[in-house]
Amino acid sequence: MSPPRLPKSVDAGVPGARGVSRRAALHLGVGGVFGSIASRWLATQSAWGAEAAHTPPSPAKACIVLWLNGGPSHVDTFDPKPGRSGGGPFKAVATRAPGLSLCEHLPRLGDIADRLCVIRGMTSKEGNHQRAQYFVHTGYAPNPTVVHPSIGGWISARLGRPEDELPAFVSIGGPSQGAGFLGVQHGPFVLAKAGAPPADLAPPANVDAARFERRRALLDGFESRFAAQTADPKVDGRRQVYTQTFRLMQSPKTRAFDLADESAATVSSYGDSDFGRGCLLARRLVESGVRCVEVVLDGWDTHQNNFERTKVLMAALDPAFSALLRDLRERSLLGSTLVACMGEFGRTPRINGADGRDHHPQAWSAVLAGGGIRGGIVHGATDADGEQVASAPTRVPDLLATITSQLGIPPDLSLITPIGRPLTVTDGGRAMREILA
Amino acid sequence: VDALVAAEWTRAGVAPAPAVDDATFFRRVTVDVAGTIPRAEDVTAFLIDRAPDKRTRAVEAALASPEYVDHWTDYWDDVLMGAPRGQDVDRDAFRAWLHDEIASGTPWNRFVYDLLTASGQNSAGGARRDARARAETRTDPETGARIHGAVNFTLQYQEAPQDLAGMASRTFLGVQIQCAQCHDHKTEKWTQDDFRRFASTFLRTRIVPVDRGKTMGIRRVELEDLDRPAPRYDKVADLRPIADARPTALDGTDLTTAPNVRAALAGWMTARDREWFARAMVNRMWGHFLGRGFVDPVDDMRPSNPATAEAVLRALAADFVASGFDTKHLIRVITGTAVYQRAASAVDDATAKADPDAHLWERFRMTPLGPDELLRALSRATGLDAIVARAGRPDMEQLRFQLRRRYTFLFDVDEDADRGEYDGTITQALALLNGSLVATGASSLPGSAIAEMLARPSDDATRVQSLFLRILSRPARDTEVSELMATLNDASRPIGAVEPGSRKKGDERIRAPDPLRGLERRAAAARADSRTRAFEDIAWALLNSSEFLFNH
Repeated sequence: MSPPRLPKSVDAGVPGARGVSRRAALHLGVGGVFGSIASRWLATQSAWGAEAAHTPPSPAKACIVLWLNGGPSHVDTFDPKPGRSGGGPFKAVATRAPGLSLCEHLPRLGDIADRLCVIRGMTSKEGNHQRAQYFVHTGYAPNPTVVHPSIGGWISARLGRPEDELPAFVSIGGPSQGAGFLGVQHGPFVLAKAGAPPADLAPPANVDAARFERRRALLDGFESRFAAQTADPKVDGRRQVYTQTFRLMQSPKTRAFDLADESAATVSSYGDSDFGRGCLLARRLVESGVRCVEVVLDGWDTHQNNFERTKVLMAALDPAFSALLRDLRERSLLGSTLVACMGEFGRTPRINGADGRDHHPQAWSAVLAGGGIRGGIVHGATDADGEQVASAPTRVPDLLATITSQLGIPPDLSLITPIGRPLTVTDGGRAMREILA
Repeated sequence: VDALVAAEWTRAGVAPAPAVDDATFFRRVTVDVAGTIPRAEDVTAFLIDRAPDKRTRAVEAALASPEYVDHWTDYWDDVLMGAPRGQDVDRDAFRAWLHDEIASGTPWNRFVYDLLTASGQNSAGGARRDARARAETRTDPETGARIHGAVNFTLQYQEAPQDLAGMASRTFLGVQIQCAQCHDHKTEKWTQDDFRRFASTFLRTRIVPVDRGKTMGIRRVELEDLDRPAPRYDKVADLRPIADARPTALDGTDLTTAPNVRAALAGWMTARDREWFARAMVNRMWGHFLGRGFVDPVDDMRPSNPATAEAVLRALAADFVASGFDTKHLIRVITGTAVYQRAASAVDDATAKADPDAHLWERFRMTPLGPDELLRALSRATGLDAIVARAGRPDMEQLRFQLRRRYTFLFDVDEDADRGEYDGTITQALALLNGSLVATGASSLPGSAIAEMLARPSDDATRVQSLFLRILSRPARDTEVSELMATLNDASRPIGAVEPGSRKKGDERIRAPDPLRGLERRAAAARADSRTRAFEDIAWALLNSSEFLFNH
């Protein structure tokens, strides 16, 4: 058993595996058309252009992933098994969605259960944290020959625009997963925590706007001369990243990072937790045009003391998730924003000697809402104890393909990887039409 | 070598860029060989030197410098360890071993053999934060046992020895055998059985704990050879077929009867007639110095990915073997070629059309400084060490370690593959534009390059010159001096007064603490006069310039 991925501090994060895999993140081999960053977007569009005309309009414009890091116990949250030997002490409570009962510690979610699609038949073979986290972010098992893009990376590459002022893909409270062979530009812009602007967004205190302009003018002079002297596209590429960065620094949209604009009532509806503030920030970012936001709630790796810890985590999850859905609905954004809540696997229905539960990839739950997903339904089921999937099994690639296809990225879309092999968005995933609205 | 490359140019119809000027060559070779930029006084000395062999002597001086050892320790640590895994891995002990081997000039074949066959104790143990100091001793203070830092390389793969097989094959032979891990290779001759037989040779070690029970920090263990696959791998479904396979080298040499399979494999890999072995290292080094290997990526050498300029690769590989796998010799040869000494400037239209990405190295291929190079270069350019020392922080090594941890992730670059384009992120740009590292370096705090420069009796034009020498490692051109003099004169207009509290606290306060944040605040609060501020602005712009941030 390896520890969960989340480093104590975000910027001490662990880069990807070495060698081939990491390099795959660094260049795309599509006929060498990917010149500079701006043209990458354009080229990305045109590389995909041929099929674009045939794609039906997609309901969702943005996606928010609530990542329950460590692997939440499905039996104690979304798939309660009251009365079974491993069912644990929590009660199951009926919700306003017929046939859907949830743990008693998720009352607010129960109140809006008519918006939820609870997928109880998730199943996977990956029981190691790192491998499973990779799998549930990318739709592929780790493979040493290529680093697969996370769905956030695909969404950034597909839906992001060069003129966007904010990054297309933001991760709050955890490193998420990079964009693999799509390139670092499509990886997540990582915020350690909601409630403060990103690090180094503004110059130091002794550099005001006028002084920054003078500095920028000096730099521009050096860059122009050097670009002319070398005629190397890398210098232009670097200048474009700087241009984007200046645009971000000056963008009024960075106000989105500041939660002070929100009323006290709104802030408190999300609950007093980093995760709650992260969910509120996710809504603000989506309103400002960000395409994919991941918000991380860590601590679900409950090998010991499962019930006490899971209860505390649900106390953060329940208000945040439900307030997010309400808030999106009130702003008429729920139809165009797909919210997904999941971790890397479930936990054993059997309770271990330390009052904990261990890793259980065989059967677990994920929850979708909004973005054209039908609400108030349960899809799939586990057996009496939650040990195995009993009906309508859902593979991880199917779940992710459903999410991306709602955002207009069809599951059969493929790109040529650096090693010359076409890869689809997920490993053979199919969009689950049966759960669409 | 030059004749062979020139023949390639003729064949492809490309005309090379002009030879690189002295200052750029000196900076380039110092960055490539010693991992940092040259000192300003060394640049000046090099430029006034009229001796015809001064470039050769510059390479020799770089090879003999302590920075050479530090740089290649960083390089191989990065290639061989990457992200460290597992409680048993003592990264600092591994670095100490690397440092010793590089300092003593161990031949490449010996280095790889020792790395792959290392056994013994991994670490002196103890808390991770003390590991760096403990690694200095090379012995376990409790037991007196000798620490063999190289075993940490093997230990990082204890959960997945098949990955060690793939890594060793790729890095030391340029053969991507791990592609055949799941099924027979589609386009190459390798089968899944080849992979299993090869990987089987790496399953024959076991770990004997020195620290028993729960240990905080690094667990001390001993790595021992076994004459059969470690039994614990039998229980892992993926490893079972590998454990059952007959240990075999990639050319079919059966190693089953060898008394020590690991040693037999390492001996096979590093043999003088193992063409793959010399070619892989020559290709890697050429890629490091020229920006693109003969084969790209450097560790993917297969018939369907043929070498550019095969004849050059072959000649260099033969010479490398003849030198007794002397890495410094290889560096001398590569840096001594005319092809390494091309300018990074534009070429004529026909050439640009024939070879738009300069795959034939007719112009020098620029690469961004890696995180270690960036930190060392920035420190040397700005006097960061002196700033830190004057501010009363005694342990520069500790600070460097913290900075390294902070910036390695942010500026991680892949050395092994050619990058035709710049692959930076907004987060990197923000760190350089607004972060504490450049803010402190470009300040006029005591000890800084700017403070030192302003203290000297001199005129402003000379001061501009000295900034250029320190940061860009070249003299400023007349036009540059006159333009910047205009900025300085303009600086009489007040600009950039301190506005206390104008900066919001960023989320850095909840990330790993920034070791330079205090100095940055001190610099921001200093009441610098307008001319000093103008010099700070020039230094800031130079440090953010592509000319500084690329090796060119």
